[in-house]
Amino acid sequence: MIMKKEDINSNPDPRIIAFVCNWCTYSGADLAGTGRMKYSDNVRIIKLPCSGRIDPLFIVEAFKKGARGVLVSGCHPGDCHYTSGNYHSRRKYAAFRDLLGFLGIDLNRVEFSWISASEGNKWVSVVNEFTEKIKSLEDSSTDIFRK
Amino acid sequence: MARIGVFVCWCGSNIAGTVDVAKVAEEASKIPGVVCAVDYKYMCSDPGQNSLRKMIREQKLTGLVLAACSPHMHENTFRRAAVKEGLNPYFVEIANIREQVSWVHEDKERATQKAIDLTKMMVEKVKKDRPIEDVKVPLTKRALVIGGGIAGIQAALDTANGGVQVILVEKEPSIGGRMIQLDETFPTLDCSSCIMTPKMVEVRQHPNIKLYTYSEIEDISGYIGNFKIKIKKKTRSVLEKDCTGCGECWNACPMHKNVKSEFNADMSERTAIYVPFPQAVPLIPVLDRSACLHYKKGGKCQKCFDACGPKCIDFGLRDEIIEEEVGAIIAATGYDLMDNSLYGEYGYGKYKDVVSGLQFERLLSASGPTEGVIRRPSDGKTPQTIVFIQCVGSRDPEKGVPYCSKVCCMYTAKHAKLFAHKVRDSQSYVFYIDIRATGKGYEEFVRSAMEQDGAVYLRGRVSRIYEDNGKLIVKGADTLSGTQVEIAADMVVLATGVIPKKDSDRLARMLGISYDKYGFFTESHPKLRPTESSTAGIFLAGMAQGPRDIPESVVSGSAAASKVLGLFSKSEYEVEGTIANVNEATCVACFYCQRVCAYHAITGKEIKDRNGNIVKVVANVNPGLCTGCGACVSACFSKSIDVKGFMDDQIYAEIKSLGV
Amino acid sequence: MSNIVDEKLRKIAKDLLESGEVSLIIGYGAGSSPRRTRPVFITDAKDAHKLSFNRHSVQDLAVFLKKAEVKKFSKIGILVKGCDEKAVNVLIQEYQVSRDNIKIIGVECNGVVRQNLADKGESSVSEATVYDKCLICGEHRPLIYDYLVETDEPELKLSGALKPYTKIEELDAMDPEERNEFWRKEFEKCIKCYACRQACPLCYCSRCIVEKNTPQWIDTSIEEPGNAQWNLIRAYHLSGRCISCGECERACPVNIPLMLINEKMARDVYNMFGYKSGQDTETKPVFGVFSEGDLNDFIK
Repeated sequence: MIMKKEDINSNPDPRIIAFVCNWCTYSGADLAGTGRMKYSDNVRIIKLPCSGRIDPLFIVEAFKKGARGVLVSGCHPGDCHYTSGNYHSRRKYAAFRDLLGFLGIDLNRVEFSWISASEGNKWVSVVNEFTEKIKSLEDSSTDIFRK
Repeated sequence: MARIGVFVCWCGSNIAGTVDVAKVAEEASKIPGVVCAVDYKYMCSDPGQNSLRKMIREQKLTGLVLAACSPHMHENTFRRAAVKEGLNPYFVEIANIREQVSWVHEDKERATQKAIDLTKMMVEKVKKDRPIEDVKVPLTKRALVIGGGIAGIQAALDTANGGVQVILVEKEPSIGGRMIQLDETFPTLDCSSCIMTPKMVEVRQHPNIKLYTYSEIEDISGYIGNFKIKIKKKTRSVLEKDCTGCGECWNACPMHKNVKSEFNADMSERTAIYVPFPQAVPLIPVLDRSACLHYKKGGKCQKCFDACGPKCIDFGLRDEIIEEEVGAIIAATGYDLMDNSLYGEYGYGKYKDVVSGLQFERLLSASGPTEGVIRRPSDGKTPQTIVFIQCVGSRDPEKGVPYCSKVCCMYTAKHAKLFAHKVRDSQSYVFYIDIRATGKGYEEFVRSAMEQDGAVYLRGRVSRIYEDNGKLIVKGADTLSGTQVEIAADMVVLATGVIPKKDSDRLARMLGISYDKYGFFTESHPKLRPTESSTAGIFLAGMAQGPRDIPESVVSGSAAASKVLGLFSKSEYEVEGTIANVNEATCVACFYCQRVCAYHAITGKEIKDRNGNIVKVVANVNPGLCTGCGACVSACFSKSIDVKGFMDDQIYAEIKSLGV
Repeated sequence: MSNIVDEKLRKIAKDLLESGEVSLIIGYGAGSSPRRTRPVFITDAKDAHKLSFNRHSVQDLAVFLKKAEVKKFSKIGILVKGCDEKAVNVLIQEYQVSRDNIKIIGVECNGVVRQNLADKGESSVSEATVYDKCLICGEHRPLIYDYLVETDEPELKLSGALKPYTKIEELDAMDPEERNEFWRKEFEKCIKCYACRQACPLCYCSRCIVEKNTPQWIDTSIEEPGNAQWNLIRAYHLSGRCISCGECERACPVNIPLMLINEKMARDVYNMFGYKSGQDTETKPVFGVFSEGDLNDFIK
């Protein structure tokens, strides 16, 4: 069902929470800063040591606390500072994402990415595109994690 | 009760230009638990840090939040300042309002709001901070080197020269590894034994090196700084301390026709009691019981015993298990060659004159079966035409391995050159896929094989070899000219691919280090930690990691040694205290944490009652191995494990603070 | 029904107890009606005659292996159907049970009658009367056992007309909003009694995550967001582990179709990672390992 943007009850200023690993994505976001790249200001970063530490529970909790989009980002496969944290997480995210979808969460609201410490520009584009997408989504409904 | 101080940095105009720092401080001061919130032009400057320290003293602060630049910039600066005032360094949290706010956003009002959010978030986090003490692990300042090839020898010598005791364990009767089997080495053509033998002797004589040859690792336990090793010292049936290496025993041995010499790559025979080669270190023979008549014929033969002057042969000696304690391990187990018989079309094993590169190496060697005169195995004649085939097994995902064995291009060029030097008017042909000659002087070396020594290089594969009238007919393709070629050769040399040493995967499992699908040990990080294994305190060197040549093996041996010396330069090994911690009351020992731990930091721990009965088993974190990545926390269903510095309740508080 | 099966069972149990190979047998015994069985715990060979197995032996007895009262016995014999036995395999895989300390008495099973139908007098086994799990059962004979008692029940005939868990495909075909609505209504009913957890042989944590209060990830009040989160987390914790015994759904007093979620996850895990839970005791659990070639399409 495609609606025109003006028809839907979208959220113009959605809260977006990003869970990122310390070594790659957090540094990539820092690099975007060092390069004075501008991007959407809806995102709030929560830093974890590794994507292996980013528990799917966090995603649900973020939704419960009102986030309208959750971004999870870590090192590219093979680049994990802790060898295999991202590999273990990727497997869990794949299953967890399916589960979220099956229970009726709009998977447009959960984004996973691999962003390295050198990819400041990728951080910017991922955040911008994700924010735009979240802003364009119908926001009138209550999902199962919100009252 | 928390007494939090919030310090908002202007960073000149870097932050203050886009963020209303005064407003951030004002909003922060309203957060419960915050007792002071100030803004300052440059928090990282000396006056900035002094004002921070003064505030800690005056306000009796229990935690700090710096709303400033990235923690990757100045977290340590502020932690040090806090420590000077007696605060635990982990009670300092950074709200990154420069790299992640002021530099990336333009709307001042919204940027200010984001800075306030991030500051609030860190205040909530710091409230849940608990003191973290760095963990100190005692160090046994001795090192174990596994493998006595060039990489292991280099690692052992460098470590020993650094003043550290080294235990060098070699499986074979002599150290020297593959390199001592080689004739001359590329690209300088210096003789391998001329440069290797002195190093072997140096190992033997070094006061800091304890050498166990003909020995294998039986068991390894413990962790960085504290490994316990069991070494199986296989018996030589010779009392080593009395043996003079005179050679009377092997000269007396009647079994000199039946056993292939491993050192000569099966190109000659050896006796049952033998030294693998004359320059063996140590020069003490091994009695091969599987070949010895004494054991086969119920003790009748004892010719070696009779011949031995010092009477040091003892047929009843047994293997010994020796226990050693070390603080670091270097694994340099080297390589084997692939089995050529997989390539039936090349006739290896069927035609005597089709040999492997290593066998050709022995034929070239002055200490080899033909004393350095190239004679083909079938009839002992000197070949005039040799075909060399590269990439036998390498770069062949279907029958062999997909990777490049790296040394074959170079040693084949060397073989062609040495052949030309030794046999006048001879001709060599080399079938190749690509020439990979990227080392210093390597390209020039290959060129000279073609241009000075007349080797004909043909780009293409050999399809078939068959014997015809005393010649080996080699049929192959020359893809550059697009023609089929047929060469009548006297000998064929296969540049066989390298594979990890047999049983190295078993050793890797014992060591608890990871290895790739081929069995090569994998590095902790392929680029940034190429010397470290995935387990703290265990380092890697040589071909055990993958194909590499002699200089690279030497470099890796030295690198591993420098890592060991660096580790041992401190009195204790210090680990950041941000490590995992188990709640033993709720852990049900499903060990998912152990499964996802890349560092083997988790083991089982038995909880016993007063009478010593095991009540339950729980997961236990070894602080020497844990790196605090937190994968275990995500894996734990009951949340009975947590990681200090990024505790579950801190993350929860952070998410909660961002609630809308 | 089948005295031969019961006799065989009783003989095995008696021998095991008499020889001291086990000190406890967990099995089924006569229930409050001929169409019900209940678990029995036998420690004395003299009581072996109490054992019985039939088409009404619905419960997955592996659930008792997590109980402290049962754990006290060092050597245990347990009666299991093919579906239930997979739970034993997972428990062994996850170090909760040692293979050396358990004797698996497998019984062949061609389907068990839905309890609600049995209580109304139904006692025949047919595709219309058995549980959904029986319709897709691949383990009529347990995969691993020390003793096997073969059934004399006729093979369960499947016409193919009945397709279990078809709601999964229906839900998959909906848009998120509709799915969300479906589950919102279901989870609205949840009273957080945790019967699903208690009935599950694989929910063996001594302190469930819902009981952790620092932090309290999951609200314990019966409000919607917390209900959804509870059911989500339970399904997540069972992904790649659930062996589809269906006990959670059977235990749910408000009839939340929990098996739809479990079955959906089992299918997805199999499709993504080629892993089926409970097939043996040696394979590493799907979420304890990874492959470099794992699905990466959903990640930017």
